[in-house]
This record gives sequence, structure tokens and C-alpha cells, in this order.
Amino acid sequence: MSAASQEFLRQAAQKSADLVHRGIVRWNIDQYDTGVGKGKTRFADWESARQRCHDIKWEAVNHLDKYLLQFEQKVKENGGHVFWAETSEEARQYICEVAAHGHVKKVVKSKSMVSEEIHLAAALEKIGVEVVETDLGEFIVQLRNEPPYHIVTPAMHLNRQQVSDLFKEKLGSADTKDPQELVAIARRWLRKDFFSAEMGISGANFIVADAGMVTITTNEGNGRLSTSVPRIHVALTGIEKVIPRLQDLATLWPTLATAGTGQPLTCYNTLMGGARRGSEIDGPEEFHVVLVDNGRSQLLGNIEEREVLHCIRCGACINACPVFRNIGGHAYGVTYPGPIGSVLEPNLLGLKDYQHLSFASSLCGACTDVCPVHIELHHHLLHNRRNAIHQGTHSAAERIGMKIFRWMTMSAGRFSLFGSLGRTALRTIHGMGLAGTTFDPMHAWTKDREAPAIPRQSFRDLWRKQNGSR
Amino acid sequence: MAAADNPSRERILARIRAAVQTTGAHHAGKVGQIFAPVTNPLERFQKECVANITECTVTSSTATSAAAIAGVLASLPPGEIFVQDSPDLRALVGGFKDGRPLRWSSAGPPNEASQATITLCELLVAQTGSVLVSAANGGRQATVVAPAHIVFAKLDQLVPDLETAMARIYERGIASKNSYVCLITGSSRTADIEKILIMGAHGPRRLIVVLQTG
Repeated sequence: MSAASQEFLRQAAQKSADLVHRGIVRWNIDQYDTGVGKGKTRFADWESARQRCHDIKWEAVNHLDKYLLQFEQKVKENGGHVFWAETSEEARQYICEVAAHGHVKKVVKSKSMVSEEIHLAAALEKIGVEVVETDLGEFIVQLRNEPPYHIVTPAMHLNRQQVSDLFKEKLGSADTKDPQELVAIARRWLRKDFFSAEMGISGANFIVADAGMVTITTNEGNGRLSTSVPRIHVALTGIEKVIPRLQDLATLWPTLATAGTGQPLTCYNTLMGGARRGSEIDGPEEFHVVLVDNGRSQLLGNIEEREVLHCIRCGACINACPVFRNIGGHAYGVTYPGPIGSVLEPNLLGLKDYQHLSFASSLCGACTDVCPVHIELHHHLLHNRRNAIHQGTHSAAERIGMKIFRWMTMSAGRFSLFGSLGRTALRTIHGMGLAGTTFDPMHAWTKDREAPAIPRQSFRDLWRKQNGSR
Repeated sequence: MAAADNPSRERILARIRAAVQTTGAHHAGKVGQIFAPVTNPLERFQKECVANITECTVTSSTATSAAAIAGVLASLPPGEIFVQDSPDLRALVGGFKDGRPLRWSSAGPPNEASQATITLCELLVAQTGSVLVSAANGGRQATVVAPAHIVFAKLDQLVPDLETAMARIYERGIASKNSYVCLITGSSRTADIEKILIMGAHGPRRLIVVLQTG
């Protein structure tokens, strides 16, 4: 068992027993469910929207070279820079060089999960650049020195009292439980940063090939300020975010908004195609796009799992996931939590150390049902499981155990015999009052749960009795 | 940047090219009508503004538009107002005599402490009650920096839906002429704390559209 896997089990056990945490997450997701239910009624046909989004992403991902090159050419024509980073290290290094070259002392960041993936903030801080997260949720988790808990709602795990205590401690603000006042405190605090930073870093929800523009979607306006005021704008994104046409946004924007939060459209859908033009009043002097590969082109080569690159990071699968609701976002120990992360991360970080994420699922398929681009998420969890087994990374004990289990279940007679023996043994042990103790073979299940009464007869016995033989 | 500075570019592209030789599985399905058609754009726009918390005032003449804008300004605390320098807005607000300093976009971007900004827009979208602005509307900061953003638009700028808006962006070269385009739907908000909706996070708390029909 890898160290990551052991830590996952420890965190998951701890978080699922934390009732306050469960209450907060349940409240958030109930609100989300209500919003999305209402949001979908605004579509004449939600299934058509899903299909259209799937078609767009399929076209882009299966012709990725063509659309990335078209995008690059357009950006360059408009005086922007495009850098292709094969690894996290390369992306960090490029951005640090741009910062050093531009004498940057402070960076304002709008939300970017890729920046978390490549651990950008720490690299910038190491060369003496202050990094300020400006999305409210991100600002809160940055003050707590935590990674985002959720890809859309980074501070979903906190209530207003916890935020108030945090602001009091870190910003010296007055005690308040009024969310309006808490937002105002953050607004006032971050204003000076927007207007003193030399560089703004954003992610990209989509990069549009035919327009040569990156688009970001935000509600707060922090993304707009981060990309309007500072001298340098760096847009950091994965290579899979490209879409062919501007026209595609007429479907992608509302579908992303509805799947992400239930809104008909997010407040600000911004398109940026370069630095300030000659006749324009303001805007950055430099525009850089960093296209991050970091394992994505490898995944593209895996024909079975390629469609994982269709993901538009709306977070719908995370909100739908019963595992996420119980263990929360941090227990996963990776950048992308929930079903999409459990599919993606083992592919990006290696099955050897991260296969446990693909096993931590009941395969209920709720994620697949809600995905707005039709990614068959639970099938990919199964692919990862199979691939992990084929790589032979599991223990000898497990291999032998499964072989024995296979032998026991491959004939009706053996299945019946071992079933009967097992029931008798369990009935005896539980009859002695040992249920849930270490003597109980079902210990892993019964230590936290009441053991059901073990029946004397098997299902097949009952069936025979009620329906005659066969 | 020279290719020599970015050797990864060719390596990434080579892997992509090799991969896409084989086409990935496509989830087959029909695409029907995604949104119901918008039959009465003006009515729909007003309805959507109510839903997304945009204050929309429909006016019939330059005089009533000027009065509507003056009314909004009167409700704001004292302080500078930033205005996109255009003949339309010169005519509308140039004559205001309430003693507030006006800063025209020809003098540079807005001051951070502006009380309000007044701009034109590229388009209005009825389907979602949205305002499409570009860098040409007083710059990037003009539409985000102040607590109130007032937009003056005329009825012929209203399009029924997002598909039409995107088609107009191509026809008029809005995305190629500007380094910045933003589709604004309602005023700045956040629900990052307990999913409670709070208006005025980093952008304008109030978005006001004065839509002139005459």
C-alpha cells in the first residue's frame, strides 16, 4: 500500500466521522442541487446541450494539434506569447522568468486549478514574489494555508464563523457573522493588491482557436481586475482546454454555468486575446499563454481514456459523488478531488501510488449521469482498476486471496459449500458476542456498524423451497 | 519566441499528432433545440434583468435617458464619475450640473475610487439579460472598477440570444478589433461562504442599463 493510499484511508476515516464537516458539506450540496434543478428547466432540452458540448469537445480533443496551432498563430499575430510546457517544472520556470524579467514583486491570481496542479505559488514565493489569491474562496484557503477543497467552491468546508475567526486572526478585522460584511472585508483588503500588483495570473475555462482568445468565467470580478490592471497577464491552462470556434461558447457558457452552480450564465464571461492595443485605454503590456501538457498528451494516446480530456471542470461530478460528500475534498490528497480526480490523477501521477482513488468508489454512476460532456466516469474508474491489476502493483496476499476466491466461486457446488461454512462460522462467532471485535472476520465492516443477523439458509435454499427446484 | 527557446513544443505536438492518428470514441446522439426561441426580445431582456439583478430602465428619448442617468447618479455618494468618451455620452451627461467631477476616458483609465462608470456597450442579449462590452467601451477597467456601472444602449443593439450575439461578434469583428471582450450578466456576486448570495464582491454592486427605444 502506497504512503498516499495510507494517508487517504486515515483522512477519509477521520473526515467521515466529523459531523460538523458533514453538515456543512451537506448544506452546500443541497443548495447546489436546488440551484441546478432550477437551472436545467431553462433549457428546452438539457440532453441536447450535453450532446452538443460533447460534440464540441470531441472535435477539439481529436484534432488537438490543429486547434492548438490555430490558437497559437492567432495569439502571436496579436503580439502575444505562447509557451508550451511539457512538465510542471517547465511551466513554473517560464512564469518565474517572466516575473523576474518584468521586475514583478506582487502577483494577483484569479482561480486556476492548473496553478495548483503545478504548485506555482510556492515557486514564485521562492524567488521573492508575493502571490495573492483573489477569488474569495481561494483567498480564504490561502489564509488557512490549505489547498482548495473543491474546484469550483474552494472554501466549501467552512462556515461563516470559521471565516470570521480567520479574518479576525489574519487581517485584524472585527468579529462579524454577517456574510455581507465578510465579503466587504475581503474586497477592501484585496483592492490595494489589484492596484499594486505588476502581474496577474489567470486560468482559462476555454481557449478559442478561431479567435486566438482565452476565456475565463467568474462571478466576483476578481478575474477581470487581475487581467485588466497589472502590467503583465499570464494565462495558464491545460492543452485540452482548446475549442474550435467562438460560436461554441453560445452553448458551452450556459451549460458550464448551469452544471457548475445552477446559474443561467456566470456573471462575467471574459475573452482576452492579447495585450493592450495601440488605441485602447488600458490593459496589460504583455500577454503570455502557458499551455501545460504535464501528462495530458500521454492520456490522449490512451484511446480508451482519451475522453477524460473533454472535462470542462464544472464540478458537477464532485457534487454528485456520495464518496465526496462523506470524506470531503482534502482527503483525496490531490489537486482534483471527486470522480474526475479519481479518474484523472492516477493517470497523471501514476497508478502505482494513486490507484486507490479509482478503488474508492461504489461505482454508482451518479458522476456519469450528471457530466455535461458525457464522460463515462465510472467506466474509467474500472479501466484504472483493471490497468492497476495488470501492472501487478497489488500485494501477493491479495493476489493469492483473489485466486482462492475465484476457485471457490467457479463451481456451484463449491460456492454452496463455502457459503454454508462461512454462514455457520459467522453465526457462531456473532452468537458468542464477538461481532465487531478483532475475532470477527467481518471486523472491517462491523467495527463501526451493527452486524445483521446471519440467516441459516442461503438465497438459493430459499428460492428452491419457494419455487421448487430450478 | 524562437523554436529553440521552447523545445517542448515540438515534443508535445509530436505526441499529440501520433495520438490523434486514431480517433476516439464518440458518444452518438441527436442535438435538438437547446433553448426555446426568444419571441419578444425586449420583454425577455427586462424579465432576465429582474432575475439576474440588473436595474433596467427603458426610455424613449435622449431627454428621458439623460433624466434616468441623472436619477441614478443622484442616488450615489459624492465622488468622481468616469464616462466613456463618445458623442452619445457627451450629449447625455456632458450637461450635468450636479457639481460632480466627470472623468472622460480620453483622459485615461478610471480612478480606483470612482463612484460610478458610464459606458456604451456592443450588444445586449435578451435570452440571458446580458451586456456585451469590449475594450472599446472605455477600456477594460471602465466596466468593472466602480461600485456602480451604468450602461447606455439603444434598442437596435438588442439581439435575441447567445447564438445571434456570437454571430454578431464575427460580423462586426468585435473579437478581432479588441483585445478584450466581456459578457456581463448581472452585477458582481459571490456565494463562496455557505452558498449565501452576496452582491458586490470585487466588481460593481449595481449594474444599471438605460435602454432607449426611440
